[in-house]
Amino acid sequence: MTTDCQLSVEAVSIRYGTVLAVRELSFVVRAGEMYALLGPNGSGKSSTLGAIAGNLLPAEGSIRVRGICRREKPAEYARLVGVVYQEPALYEELTARQNLELFGGLYGLRNPMLRRRIVDALNRVRLAERADERLAGFSGGMLRRINLACALLHTPAVLLLDEPTVALDPESRDALFATLARLRESGCAIVLTTHHLEEAEMWCDRVGILREGKLIAEGRPADLLRQTSDRSIIHGQLRETIPGDDADALRKSLGPTVELRISGRRLTLSAADGAGLGRALARLHERGVMLESFRTPPPRMECLFDGASDLSADNHRENSCTPA
Amino acid sequence: MYPRLNLLVVLIRNDFRLFLADRRAALLCFLVPIVLASVFTSIFERPGRPTQSARLDLLVVAEDTDPLCAGIIDDLIATDRADVRRATRAEAEAEIAKRGSGVAVVFPVGFSAACRARDSQKPGLELLFHPASPIESQWAEGLLTELVMKKLAKQWLEPMGLAGGALLERPFDMQHHSVPERIGHPFNSASHAFAGMTLQYLLFWGMESGLVFLRERQRGIWKRLRTSPVLLRDILLARSISTATIAVVQVLVTFSFGMLFFDVRITGSFAGFVLLVLAICLLSSATGLMVAAFGETEARARNISILVILAVSMIGGLWLPAFLLPRWIQDVSLLMPVSWAMRALDGVTWQGRGLASMLPAVAMVLVFVATFLVLAAGRFYWSESRRRRGIRIC
Repeated sequence: MTTDCQLSVEAVSIRYGTVLAVRELSFVVRAGEMYALLGPNGSGKSSTLGAIAGNLLPAEGSIRVRGICRREKPAEYARLVGVVYQEPALYEELTARQNLELFGGLYGLRNPMLRRRIVDALNRVRLAERADERLAGFSGGMLRRINLACALLHTPAVLLLDEPTVALDPESRDALFATLARLRESGCAIVLTTHHLEEAEMWCDRVGILREGKLIAEGRPADLLRQTSDRSIIHGQLRETIPGDDADALRKSLGPTVELRISGRRLTLSAADGAGLGRALARLHERGVMLESFRTPPPRMECLFDGASDLSADNHRENSCTPA
Repeated sequence: MYPRLNLLVVLIRNDFRLFLADRRAALLCFLVPIVLASVFTSIFERPGRPTQSARLDLLVVAEDTDPLCAGIIDDLIATDRADVRRATRAEAEAEIAKRGSGVAVVFPVGFSAACRARDSQKPGLELLFHPASPIESQWAEGLLTELVMKKLAKQWLEPMGLAGGALLERPFDMQHHSVPERIGHPFNSASHAFAGMTLQYLLFWGMESGLVFLRERQRGIWKRLRTSPVLLRDILLARSISTATIAVVQVLVTFSFGMLFFDVRITGSFAGFVLLVLAICLLSSATGLMVAAFGETEARARNISILVILAVSMIGGLWLPAFLLPRWIQDVSLLMPVSWAMRALDGVTWQGRGLASMLPAVAMVLVFVATFLVLAAGRFYWSESRRRRGIRIC
């Protein structure tokens, strides 16, 4: 861990009853770094964010912000973290300023500093001129910006954003990331969850890719892209579905260097190189597995969890652990 | 200590802002109990007015055309204790069936002749009454007995020269005193109505305050609050204080209106009244916490709370004085805090009770407040702990 490490997540597991949603997850985020947790629905991104925010208690492992653990010093820990959930958690009956006064006050800010911070935060999200209007009249995008302003008031060391760009138009999305980029320059560590891979590629310093609660890859977007382009992948459509036991047997026969994913009649096959992929295809052919069609994806980060993304909606629901 | 106090101030100020955000709703919070209490007061008795004698609404069916019968009917019409209307039997039956009148007396053919005969066969009178009007029926029977006996006695005694006016009059005067009058505090139905409606509305206000929690949970605000440095106990404490404070204002506004326009008076201990107001305002916020702790969704919690509050208000004597309710309901009502609060409010307003005699009722209200707070806080901590551990709350 370096000295400028703001957030450290060490071997964290999160359970919902008997379901293990996140398994021994570890990563660190440094000051001035924007880190994206990527993954399909139900992969454990929001649960991880909830645990860092303090809404969920990890079953195992520890989470520290600037070395402080929430269990030991909850109030001090909370003052170091800013949270922006997907749904704007605001009082729509009140004005933007009144909402900011509440959340600033809860983090111990008092006038005149509170007043100054409110002006700064509103300027940052470009809503200063609407400070005294009730939120009931705000658009979804404006509510999200006020939501962000509330989280920035106490200048947190770590800012958490859960799916911050959902339902935002491209212009608002760019404006949000521009704001986050300025925050990053001020030394704030930013952790966000998203399944928009192009956002992560364009804006984030590092990404962690989660699949079924496990961190399957982590690094700079460019490095991960290079890794994915090193692997050879095809997506195919099977002529017939394959029973689960047969699919397991197929996987074993292909060996540890080849990854096979089957969901209904969809198939994803990935190998270390083209030759490996060719051998795997031949092995499938020998075993009577016939492809109706196939395609090769471009070398993008999607490839890292494409198999998981390709899961059917039903499978998503079955695998989803996040409570309503 | 001070930072914690500051957090409480921030939360309480926010609750006041939420209350005042919808000005019309806030105004209605004060108006509704006043309107309800005024309506209840006007239905019953207005203070300071002498009670008018109630009059029996009576139908008379004269099938007997004899002058004796006509004389009795004339006496009935002349009495100031009944509003008498003539009708045929068919009209009387129809009128009673639709409850236009509760009771009718039928003078059958031959009634007068049988009276004159004075043999062992007594003359018959028929009383027709609605099943829901047994009291009117007995009232009519008493009135008829008096008038018929007077008339017949006059007829029988006149020939003997004994029919002096005084002999046939009631040999005593009846003096009417309501019991509180004797201890110097006339019953004021407005006091009861204002106390009852204030209490009922405080329960509704408590419910509304509890529903705010559920709304916050639904909107994700609760989750956001729980990531801030504020502790759960401070959130609960702040909401309790703001709810109780607004409840105090409601009580003051409602009672001030009652005092100005309906002659509501604090005839008992003023200190007792203050103590009681604080207790019932705490009861209001404790009720709110119960709604928030045990309510699942806002809509469900609202419907169940309304049902419970209306039932408790009725049984607890908030609408009608408890002594008008059946004995078993009066006994059951002792299990409800509002019943104790209502007794104490009646005591301090129109019954003129002192502080000492009110303390047991106030203590009972506070016992209920403490119980509600412990139950609600326990449930909050339990559900928060489960939520944080990712266990779904049923």
